[in-house]
Amino acid sequence: MRTLVGALALAAACAGGTAAAQQVPVEEVVLDNGMTLLLLPRPGDPNVAAGWVAKVGSVYERPGITGVAHLFEHMMFKGTAAIGTRNIEQDLQIIAQLDEVKAALRVEEAALLEAERLGRIEDAGDPAHRTERHQALMDRFEALLAQQGDLLIKEDFSRIYSGQGASGMNAGTSYDFTLYFVNVPANKLELWFWMESDRLLNPVFREFYAERDVVHEERRLRIDSTPIGRFQEQFEALFWQSSPYGWPVVGWPSDLEGITRGEALAFFDLYYAPNNLAAALVGDFDPAEAKALAERYFGRLPRGDRLPPQPRTREMPQVSEKRMLAYAETNPQVVVRYHSVPDGHVDEPALVVLGQLLNDRTGRLYRALVEEEGVATRASGGQSGFKFEGMFELRGTAAEGHAPEEVEQALYAEMERLKTEPVDPRELQKVKNQNAASTFRQLQGNFFLMYSLLMRDAYRGWETINSDPPLYEAVTADDIMRVANTYFEPENRAVAVYYRKASDEAPDPRLAGLDPEEQEQIRQMQAMIGQLNAEQIGQFIERFEQMSSQAPPENQDMVAVVLELLRERRAAAEGDGR
Amino acid sequence: MMLLRRQPTGRAACAAGLLALGVLPPGATAGAQTIPAHPADLAYELLDFTPPAASDHRHELSNGIVVFAVEDHELPLVTVAVTVRTGAHLDPPDKIGLAGLTGSQMRAGGTATMSAAEFDEEAAFLAAQIGSSIGATSGGASMNCLTRDLDACLDLFFDMLRNPGFDEERLALAKRQAIQQMERRNDATGSIERREWQRLMRGDAHFSTLPRTRSSVESITRDDLVAFHREYYHPGNFIFAVSGDVDTAGILAELERRFDGWAAGTGPVPPVPAPDFTPSPGLYLVDKPDVNQGRVAIGHLGTTRDNPDRYKLLVMNDILGGGGFSARLLTRVRSDEGLAYSASSNFGLGVHYDGVFQAGFQSRSETVARAAAIVLEEIERIRREPVTEEELRNSIAYFVETFSRNFSSAASTAGLFAGDEHTGRDPSYLATYRDNIAAVTAEDVLDAARRYLDPEALAILVVGNLDAILAGDPERPEFSLETLRPGGAVRIPLPDPFTMEYPAP
Repeated sequence: MRTLVGALALAAACAGGTAAAQQVPVEEVVLDNGMTLLLLPRPGDPNVAAGWVAKVGSVYERPGITGVAHLFEHMMFKGTAAIGTRNIEQDLQIIAQLDEVKAALRVEEAALLEAERLGRIEDAGDPAHRTERHQALMDRFEALLAQQGDLLIKEDFSRIYSGQGASGMNAGTSYDFTLYFVNVPANKLELWFWMESDRLLNPVFREFYAERDVVHEERRLRIDSTPIGRFQEQFEALFWQSSPYGWPVVGWPSDLEGITRGEALAFFDLYYAPNNLAAALVGDFDPAEAKALAERYFGRLPRGDRLPPQPRTREMPQVSEKRMLAYAETNPQVVVRYHSVPDGHVDEPALVVLGQLLNDRTGRLYRALVEEEGVATRASGGQSGFKFEGMFELRGTAAEGHAPEEVEQALYAEMERLKTEPVDPRELQKVKNQNAASTFRQLQGNFFLMYSLLMRDAYRGWETINSDPPLYEAVTADDIMRVANTYFEPENRAVAVYYRKASDEAPDPRLAGLDPEEQEQIRQMQAMIGQLNAEQIGQFIERFEQMSSQAPPENQDMVAVVLELLRERRAAAEGDGR
Repeated sequence: MMLLRRQPTGRAACAAGLLALGVLPPGATAGAQTIPAHPADLAYELLDFTPPAASDHRHELSNGIVVFAVEDHELPLVTVAVTVRTGAHLDPPDKIGLAGLTGSQMRAGGTATMSAAEFDEEAAFLAAQIGSSIGATSGGASMNCLTRDLDACLDLFFDMLRNPGFDEERLALAKRQAIQQMERRNDATGSIERREWQRLMRGDAHFSTLPRTRSSVESITRDDLVAFHREYYHPGNFIFAVSGDVDTAGILAELERRFDGWAAGTGPVPPVPAPDFTPSPGLYLVDKPDVNQGRVAIGHLGTTRDNPDRYKLLVMNDILGGGGFSARLLTRVRSDEGLAYSASSNFGLGVHYDGVFQAGFQSRSETVARAAAIVLEEIERIRREPVTEEELRNSIAYFVETFSRNFSSAASTAGLFAGDEHTGRDPSYLATYRDNIAAVTAEDVLDAARRYLDPEALAILVVGNLDAILAGDPERPEFSLETLRPGGAVRIPLPDPFTMEYPAP
């Protein structure tokens, strides 16, 4: 406790300059089995933010078992030999029987899936296609589940925690890591050690197949039933050619259906060994007590007998621009993505600062696209460095009457400026001042600090919380110009253009009088018009003016609308002075 | 004070007792070195937490403004927040959206002496976080800055509060953005569900459901914003909450100085109107053919925050569906049946008028009816039989032991006090809260469930692919929405997103 207050007081006293070098005095302990423990006592309310991270996420998967890291995260809440069951022996027997029946069922399912694949049946899940044996196996499976149901204590893990005042218990899976967290009252620290070490030491992956249905629902919630979820998923797969960042964390549905309990167990043995884990405590606790508890509880976990394998497949260098045109229930918008660098690359600080220059109310994109040119209602961008790859993304939502392609061109214009004009010193200083303040702000909440330490530890080590800020502080205008000229070439990008899907009423009043087919043509032309330069626009206007005098009466309306769009675009192009 | 907890048992309890008394020297806790077979056998030291009292932090300036100050010098950061007696309930009927725009444009539109761009630049260069907004029943503004920049940030903050510039161009942009946002009203099933549920519970005439429309937003002028601000933003309507690295006496003197010459306005702010509406039970359907998951809301009116039964209701709802993974709804719908990723309930304790009891979930179209049947069954069950001792104990422990989280930062403590001052809540409830929760019995929960949950009064709203939802699950044909709510359903069409006019059914 004293360490932190002292360090912060010191930092505050030295904060007269622009950058206060804030140090977070974490105590790091490595247990004999290789597990890392990060301790940060803080004064305040009698609670401890507690968590641990497994250095594994969806990029450690392979085709066939995509989604296993996330499914596994769900399984970690299903209990242990001591938690979640009334009779562990019977429970384990039933689990083994369930696995056997499931293996037999797979043979039946494979036949139906083949029939579906060959187009002989429409839906392999339709009960009408099942053989008698298939149905019997399913009935047997259900009967075993019912038998097991009598033994289970549902959500026991969660109930034990919440009954002791622990709150916010949950976990999250990302591309690169899986993080488990909870807030415990200060006097319940031992409970946390008990619960977390028990589920690492004695996990029982019961209710495996029911939990898969829950994950399917999560997928429907987050991807299938959101206006653009399915398009975003497609864009990820388009952007990444060979890298495992291309598949969704939640997994492909066919893999989710197929993953076996055995595959999940093998995954656990490799990646949940203590030498691949780090835990963190932030809040009101005594570090000496925490260390003793860690040795007693986490010290029980046996070290993994081999190092967990790392993803091997790197992204192929992109050789030509990729584009996706999407008609979705959303406002017209554009996403432009470049391959850049992973977390911690020497160019990352400059790319991050470059992103900060673009963002926020006083950032370049909002100023130019939203306020000055009026082509967009929102615009933002920034660097995302994952563990093994990275990307730089620009986004903008088109203002009414503007095509997403206009937004796209305006985004490029801003990037061109960064390539050719050095950044104004005050503008750069503004970003650095914000970074300096955020070194303090990130300490305001224990939960976020715990999360941030663990996430950093899964990437390059928790120390980056102290060693990264000076790197951002050191970024110069030259650095920014250099990275701007390195990563933002057309052949290195993928572009997603979203148009509003045609609905019953045309949202654009100018299109109201046209039939649906014409509206569709106009929308496609709008896309094209957005990419024209001033000279081309002039030529098109000339041609359409001629057409309008010659067009048959039934096409007059459409020609008039196109002309209006072209003239608007010309006015906009002249207005922006570029 | 003594907290409720699972009583320690046996040898471990003895060791813990000795530890708590400081009898055992460090290292002599040999008995505690063994790991108990089950966490129920763990023993815990007592947790001594006394909440801070609002009265210890409450101050009044000479003009009557109440200021709550909570010092915390760990980090060189200061937060100043103000709650304002105003709200969207004061929107003129033909200018719905005025309050919201006034709140946001105070921050976006510069001041009398600084252009919008200058104000933004200055705040950004100081790395100050300054915000302003007006919600349904209150307004608010806040700033957070490094201690060393406090003076400069207070200059900006008070300039914004007192002399907002309401820049014309920024206003025009905000109006365009608001109108463009309207276009998304029918895109996500979640927004459709929230909107239609509000309408089912509050009717179409209450301020909480009056929609912004293209014409209402277009009609709002800079003069309207100026007048709205002048009417409500004056010292008589402010409650301040200051927290962080400040000296209380110093910041009070500083605020005193900055209010000098700013007269308190006249007349009280009109009260928040209660809805004059009784929801109609029944089944309501909204078709959204493109999605494969249906969203369901089930409920009726709740009660108010001041109801003496509130503690019983908190525990009752926690066990039914409020308590996360271990609540009955999630256990049944998610863990037992795998029918949803989330399922929960909330028993609304309204501040100004009755809140809403709402249970809900999302499930794939085929299983919507089956999951809804489970929710209805659980609502019936909690009215029929007492909750178990374990459920009651766990729920009470949860409320009691998480209570200290309300005071997890100086800013949240000061904000809690300011909120109570604004809504006229006697802060003494904080001192008795844990005892009141701990006194709830299984009979109380049963009684609360019987009196405040009414299966006959439930409205059920379903948003999703209706063809698939009504067809149900071929494997479980016994479940259908029609059997759950016989007597026909009301189909709600999607409105024009700009006029919010609903086509005739």
